[in-house]
Amino acid sequence: MSAPAGTPCLEVRGISKTFRDGGQTVRALEDVSFAAWPGEFITIIGPSGSGKSTLFNVITGLAEPDAGEIVLACDVARDRAGRVGYMPQRDLLLPWRTVLNNVILGPELDGRSRREARRRARELLPLFGLDGFADAFPDALSGGMRQRAALLRTFLTDREVLLLDEPFGALDALTRRELQRWLLGVWERFRKTILFITHDVEEAVYLADRVLVFSARPGRIVKELRVDLPRPRQTISLLSEDLRRLEAELMIALEAASGGAR
Amino acid sequence: MGQANARPRRASARLLTDVARAVILTAVAVVVLAFFASGVLQLAIEVRAQENLALDTIFPSVSAVRGAWEAHRDRLLEEHIPETLWETLAGLAMATVLGVTIAALMDFSRVLRWLLYPLLVVSQTIPIFAIAILLILIFGFGSGPKITVVVLFCFFPVALNTFSGLQSADPELLSLLRAMGASARQVWTKARLPAAMPSFFAGLRIAATYSVVGAIFGEYITAQRGLGVFLKRSYSSFRLDQAYLAILLTAALSLLLVLLVNLVERLALRWYYTSRRASWRGPGIY
Ligand SMILES: Nc1ncnc2c1ncn2[C@@H]1O[C@H](COP(=O)(O)OP(=O)(O)O)[C@@H](O)[C@H]1O
Ligand SMILES: [Mg+2]
Repeated sequence: MSAPAGTPCLEVRGISKTFRDGGQTVRALEDVSFAAWPGEFITIIGPSGSGKSTLFNVITGLAEPDAGEIVLACDVARDRAGRVGYMPQRDLLLPWRTVLNNVILGPELDGRSRREARRRARELLPLFGLDGFADAFPDALSGGMRQRAALLRTFLTDREVLLLDEPFGALDALTRRELQRWLLGVWERFRKTILFITHDVEEAVYLADRVLVFSARPGRIVKELRVDLPRPRQTISLLSEDLRRLEAELMIALEAASGGAR
Repeated sequence: MGQANARPRRASARLLTDVARAVILTAVAVVVLAFFASGVLQLAIEVRAQENLALDTIFPSVSAVRGAWEAHRDRLLEEHIPETLWETLAGLAMATVLGVTIAALMDFSRVLRWLLYPLLVVSQTIPIFAIAILLILIFGFGSGPKITVVVLFCFFPVALNTFSGLQSADPELLSLLRAMGASARQVWTKARLPAAMPSFFAGLRIAATYSVVGAIFGEYITAQRGLGVFLKRSYSSFRLDQAYLAILLTAALSLLLVLLVNLVERLALRWYYTSRRASWRGPGIY
């Protein structure tokens, strides 16, 4: 939305990653570079298999890149584990923990007070649509609720940068719409920097300040689309002219990007 | 997109492995059937040879068994059952600790897994009878050897099941914890251990089933008290009504113990049973 100012809180510099799997090599990422400024909402879209999840694994420190580096809050981060909030594609709630005990996992792993974390979590449960479900086990929740619980867990890590990997990918269209609108509200309240992977063009445009388009394997950034729509966007018409124009532009870029794979 | 890349094997090689597999499976089936038939035949021959045995000595009436209970109730309740129960519970508790420790060690390092796994299996192939006599020679006639026999009976299912439970933790979940900055210890206590609990209880249930039999086995060799001695004395005086009583009591104790394990499991794994409430009615039926 606004022009980048100050220093970025996350810089991805020339990341390449190749998997060697038996005799086969898969080039997942090739020379990916971008920066995220504080409070920015960046969506990442690309054909499946274009290395988007791999990029998140590199940023979180689960995978080491073959080339390039990740800069977090201005220092080259070698030990990156736990420095960003991460929500993987599957919600991965712990089935043996109640919702409340699931969402405080971040503070608990940090060694912060559990009592304090629970108090904060309880306050936020209504905002995350989980009021009255504090003591329920995850298996009792609907898909949308599980996703919101996983999001609350990610927000409660209190990290500046949050990586969300297709959080709404498995939901039906209606629930997804609702959650997108809701997520924007939450994001505006918490002012986090969000990297959000999606394969949905409308979602990518609706949420983002900037959209990064990945090419088919090996993943490269082939287009960067700035979304200058005003915020808050919760009430924006889905048929808005500007929205449609940007979606069309993105669709064209995406088709060109995945052309090689078809 | 993702292209399948299994290298095409030559058709002749594939045919050969198919034929080999068919031959092996047929051979195994034939061998199993042959032993089954010869076993059944042997039983039939021996049953026919026993025709003249008095049935009411082998199967005493219910009232005879109840009579035995009335006659021995005080000694059974005050001496034999408490002794057997104490040996059983002590042995089962020690087996649980030992089994979980072994499982944790095997989970902890690949080298330990390589070293411990064969030892575990071998420990189950040694005739426990031989070990029990050895233990009594070493430690005398007290409860110690019996407790040890219970441990030998019981630690194996606990160790094996807990180990496979520890290994079953969702790798993506472990990755998530690591990405969140969890230490190795935290990954273990927050994910691997809780994930292993259902398997642990499955192992414990098997152990509980064996444990009473283990204690009685130990007592049978030599002891002053316990259901095992009671059983042995019954046989040596040819009191089959007493023997049946001992067998019934053993079964009752075993069943009670299994029910106790189920109860503890229900309480400890509330998440497991609530989540499967709709679709699954597992062993925790009580
Ligand atoms: N651990 C791994 N080992 C081998 N290949 C992998 C591994 N992780 C991902 N890949 C491969 O890298 C490519 C990119 O995967 P991924 O990052 O999951 O794509 P996306 O999230 O964009 O759909 C895929 O072809 C995938 O098969
Ligand atoms: Mg992915």
